[in-house]
Amino acid sequence: MAARESARAISIEAEQGCLVGRFDAMASPCEILMESGDREQAAYLTRIAADEAWRIEDKFSRYIPGNVVGRINTSNGSTIEVDDETASLLDFAASLYKLSDGRFDITSGVLREVWRFDGGNRIPTQRAVSEILQRVGWSRVAWERPLLALETGMEIDLGGIGKEYAVDRVTGMLCAAAECSAVINFGGDLAVTRPPRQRESWRAGIESLSPTGGSSETVLAIRSGALATSGDSRRFLLNDGVRYSHILDPTSGWPVEGAPRSVTVAADTCTQAGMLSTLSMLQGYNAEAFLDGEGVRYWCRR
Amino acid sequence: MGVEPWERDILAKEEMQLTTDPIEAAIDDHIYFSKEASSGGRGFGGGGCGCN
Amino acid sequence: MADKTPASVSAALAAATCSLLGSMPAAPVQAEEEPDWDFNTALLYYGEDNDRVQDLSLNILARRYYVDDRSLTLGLTVDTLTGATPNGAIRQNVPQTFTRPSGSSAYTVPAGELPLDDTFKDTRAAVRVGWEQPLGRLWKTSVGFSGSREYDYTHLGLNGSLARDFNKRNTTVSAGFAVAHDIWDPVGGAPIPFAPMLDVGDTSNKTGSETKDIIDVVIGVTQVVSRRMLVQLNYSFSNSSGYLTDPYKMLSLVDGTTGDTIPRVAAPGAEGPSHEFRFENRPGDRTKHSLYGQAKYYMAGKVLDASYRYMTDDWKIDSHTVDLRLRWPLGEYSYIEPHFRFYTQSEADFYTISLVDGAELPRFASADYRLGNFDAMTAGLKYGWKTRTGNEMSVRAEIYTQNGTIPGDRLIGNQVGRETYPDLDAVIVQFSYHFSR
Repeated sequence: MAARESARAISIEAEQGCLVGRFDAMASPCEILMESGDREQAAYLTRIAADEAWRIEDKFSRYIPGNVVGRINTSNGSTIEVDDETASLLDFAASLYKLSDGRFDITSGVLREVWRFDGGNRIPTQRAVSEILQRVGWSRVAWERPLLALETGMEIDLGGIGKEYAVDRVTGMLCAAAECSAVINFGGDLAVTRPPRQRESWRAGIESLSPTGGSSETVLAIRSGALATSGDSRRFLLNDGVRYSHILDPTSGWPVEGAPRSVTVAADTCTQAGMLSTLSMLQGYNAEAFLDGEGVRYWCRR
Repeated sequence: MGVEPWERDILAKEEMQLTTDPIEAAIDDHIYFSKEASSGGRGFGGGGCGCN
Repeated sequence: MADKTPASVSAALAAATCSLLGSMPAAPVQAEEEPDWDFNTALLYYGEDNDRVQDLSLNILARRYYVDDRSLTLGLTVDTLTGATPNGAIRQNVPQTFTRPSGSSAYTVPAGELPLDDTFKDTRAAVRVGWEQPLGRLWKTSVGFSGSREYDYTHLGLNGSLARDFNKRNTTVSAGFAVAHDIWDPVGGAPIPFAPMLDVGDTSNKTGSETKDIIDVVIGVTQVVSRRMLVQLNYSFSNSSGYLTDPYKMLSLVDGTTGDTIPRVAAPGAEGPSHEFRFENRPGDRTKHSLYGQAKYYMAGKVLDASYRYMTDDWKIDSHTVDLRLRWPLGEYSYIEPHFRFYTQSEADFYTISLVDGAELPRFASADYRLGNFDAMTAGLKYGWKTRTGNEMSVRAEIYTQNGTIPGDRLIGNQVGRETYPDLDAVIVQFSYHFSR
């Protein structure tokens, strides 16, 4: 715990006529880029951002015992009453489950007990997959706001929503707290509070690492709205020459076939961008067709 | 000697690149190649011309 | 999802997001890919005084960026050269007539004037293509091709380089090579070394085309010293072999006592040189070594760029070059940059003023002033600014002067006082425009 607390520090630096606040949260490097020369204001805004990011991490991370997610996952079938914010996130997850015909499922995390995406070659048996699927499925969850009952052995994981949600929360707070334009960038998922004034647009590099180790970067110019990226090309399984992506389809328990290496989507909010990129990954070979159909701007890397 | 990756703000500036203006560097290399007995140094620069 | 109507997911997602966040941002998303193409263009005027060389040059350097830090570079240069250039002969107290390099006519230089060949007119087009890409996380490589064509000269070259980063990318070690094969196809043919200049129409002193091969190797280290300072150190090796002579340059054949050029009479009815001139002859091999150091230093917005080069070669030429630039910002969108350069070289061991009649011919000889002993200075100012659309423009004006000396003991008889190093004054004016698409 002491190590965690000491890691919770912020720093402010001047870069290219801007001030940048940095801290670590949700296992990602976080950056607040502000079109401002006022260090005091920058520190104040970064402090707001970091406190909110850490609050969300503490409350919803499945790695921190005793928080609301921990309480739900250790409820052993009993009914839990959740607070408003948790309820809103669960409502959102329920909508996404419906929208994706069951492919986006916050109960699918237990599949990782049999699928380990560490670049190795261990493929689970169909029997093991079928067994674990008994513990997966939002449709088995009794959710009647604000009451939730989870079957024994099931777990929820809000990790697929948390970071984007945090970016949007912080964006709203900083938009209200300051007149200057700021970019909220949590490990590559980012949003802009308002269009910048001293420059045409902010520049955002979308980077991913290819399996060979080479880095790739496309630079995007963003004036307003948000960007989110799904996919991590270092997480995969190789078996008999078949590359299994880390995107699991909870309806089958198997990795999605033909998922792109990464998908970056631009949308009004980071939450929308993140969900669209995740949903497109779940479409596998049809990722681009899906995004084209939705009429959104995206950058897909295969 | 050296800096950490997050201390590259100044070094990343365009005016801190070794060759700020590639065309001007090529033009200068070419002019001096054709008027003096030395060439190159920075790179290969300047040749490919009957002027010297 | 496949059965849902287009964009229905987006609409439902927007509604769900709105109830999650409680509000939506006022401004809709505006995100675009950065431009893929980067263009550097420049228009250059280079002009020497006394109607010597004038060059108007158009330069375009386009760079296309691809994912994975790969890029393609395309360069095009078109030069138009006019004006006169010293032909190597010395001044005389009488007019001198020379056969033009083409061998089809002659030109006469008034008494007491430095002989200049005014046939210097050429258009040169040069292209280059390069490809650069990383190899893994720490290596970077590039390959390139260059070619140029002018009326009497063709250049073909290949180059490549490899660089590796060390020490958190604070140190970069690089090695590069370039090979070139150049072809001289001089007007009227390449003269036979030391052959006399002949009457108009007589081409028995000329052969066809000649070639030269050049190999260059550069090994360098770039080091980040601090947040504000960066240094580079390069060693270069260059070897040229083949026809390194200038086919348009000659030497005057002089009397060993008076120093005056030996008069010559053209064949009856023919037009030809008024004096004895011999075409120059340089060694067929030249090896150069240079050390180049550069430092960039940032001081409160201003950037100092300082470099020094030492070169030495087996023609016994040594040179030192110091180049200083200071980029001084004027507000946020413009800057001025004073530039100063100093250059000094010693002469080649076969550099001479004239050849003495009756004496044994040296193995090699050239009276090309560029192989002599001289200092040069460049002083200039550049002003650059950013346009409202984010493009960059700059203008620069510089003066370039060469001041040479001929040691007194090299001059014979009447040459003393008459023959001086042909000092040069030139202006450089350049307009540059940088934009992206």
